[in-house]
Amino acid sequence: MMYPKENALVHWIFSSYVKWLVGKTFNKFNYNNIDVDAGKSVLLVANHFSFWDGLILFLINKRLWKKKFHVMILKETAVHSSILRYAGAFSVSKNSREMLQSLNYAAGLLQNPDNLVLMFPQGKLYSNFVDHVNFNKGIMRLIEKAEGKFRLVFAATFIQYLKHKKPSVTVYFKNEPGNYAGRSIKELQDNYQQHYQAAKQLETEIEI
Amino acid sequence: MISRPRRKILADLFAKYMYYRMRKTFNRLQVVNKFEPRSGHSVLLLCNHFGWWDGLWANYLAYWHLDRKSYIMMQEDHLQARMWLSHCGAFSINRSSREMITSLQHAAGLLDDHENVVIVFPQGELISNHTTEIKVEKGIERLIKNIKGPCQIVYNAVLVEYFESLKPSAYFHLYDCGLAGEVSFDELTTRINAFHQQALKAQLNVEH
Repeated sequence: MMYPKENALVHWIFSSYVKWLVGKTFNKFNYNNIDVDAGKSVLLVANHFSFWDGLILFLINKRLWKKKFHVMILKETAVHSSILRYAGAFSVSKNSREMLQSLNYAAGLLQNPDNLVLMFPQGKLYSNFVDHVNFNKGIMRLIEKAEGKFRLVFAATFIQYLKHKKPSVTVYFKNEPGNYAGRSIKELQDNYQQHYQAAKQLETEIEI
Repeated sequence: MISRPRRKILADLFAKYMYYRMRKTFNRLQVVNKFEPRSGHSVLLLCNHFGWWDGLWANYLAYWHLDRKSYIMMQEDHLQARMWLSHCGAFSINRSSREMITSLQHAAGLLDDHENVVIVFPQGELISNHTTEIKVEKGIERLIKNIKGPCQIVYNAVLVEYFESLKPSAYFHLYDCGLAGEVSFDELTTRINAFHQQALKAQLNVEH
């Protein structure tokens, strides 16, 4: 497993670069402001359709919640884009014993109220046009291990073009009550699906 | 109605320049399903309308894939802001005036020549890329009724994705809706909507 790397200068360079890149690439960058409990860590569960997802949520966390950002990424991505490790990325290898190590590490991070862990439970990239979001089982192990010391937040991200040359990105957040310990993955998935569907509906009705 | 003779040299230069610009902006421009227009038929290309790039994508398809001389129907105020496009095959429509009928008849006249493709956005306004329903304006019925030569009606559903790349990719789903005069307006609307649903499903498995 590959752990995050600490280097304040590289972190600052990365963060400034991402801020510049997002500003240059997108026409607008919208999200709904939600408050999170300062005394609890955040487990952010999001849909995964592009490389941008993590970068956008990284920036929003900096603006809104100011927690220490961590994200679980595939080992291939961690090898290929090792700079992400300076922004709090740690690796997971699906179908290997290392996976448990990664989930335990993430659960450990959630014990500290200053941390935020972003997870894409879909496990890989899917189209932005999917109707049903399917979760891999790992997230439940993480939730059980973290023993309720976190606040669960759902995020659904969509990108559209509208009348501008550059696209706009919208992130819909929702504070999810409860932490799902002892409950089934189906319940978690269904509730995320409900949020995703409502967000997609809003995105479809967007005024142009 | 604004309409000027199409100058081949300018239209070709524009198509080639835009191809260069699109290659810089997009990661992929991909026609998902193999599509061959019927020989000896003009093409009425009906596209979904969700963004700034729509007309340029349609022009790219007309030039590089359908191998026809492209003409495009544009909103009058949009064309007035870029009058030089009228030399490349753009002509105007003003939906709030009686001149609209002249524009529809002009489009139908162009389709009498089997070397032409006319690009029209049947929704008549920008609608989100995430919409699942394609509204077809009544004007399309009048346009089709006025076509005298053999003309194939093609629906083009464009869907934009990112996947692993920081640059977007445009996926084109092309469907044969039948021949003008052989398919009724209601049948055409039903087919376009069925094809759009099919495209949304096919999009989940596109190569990336």
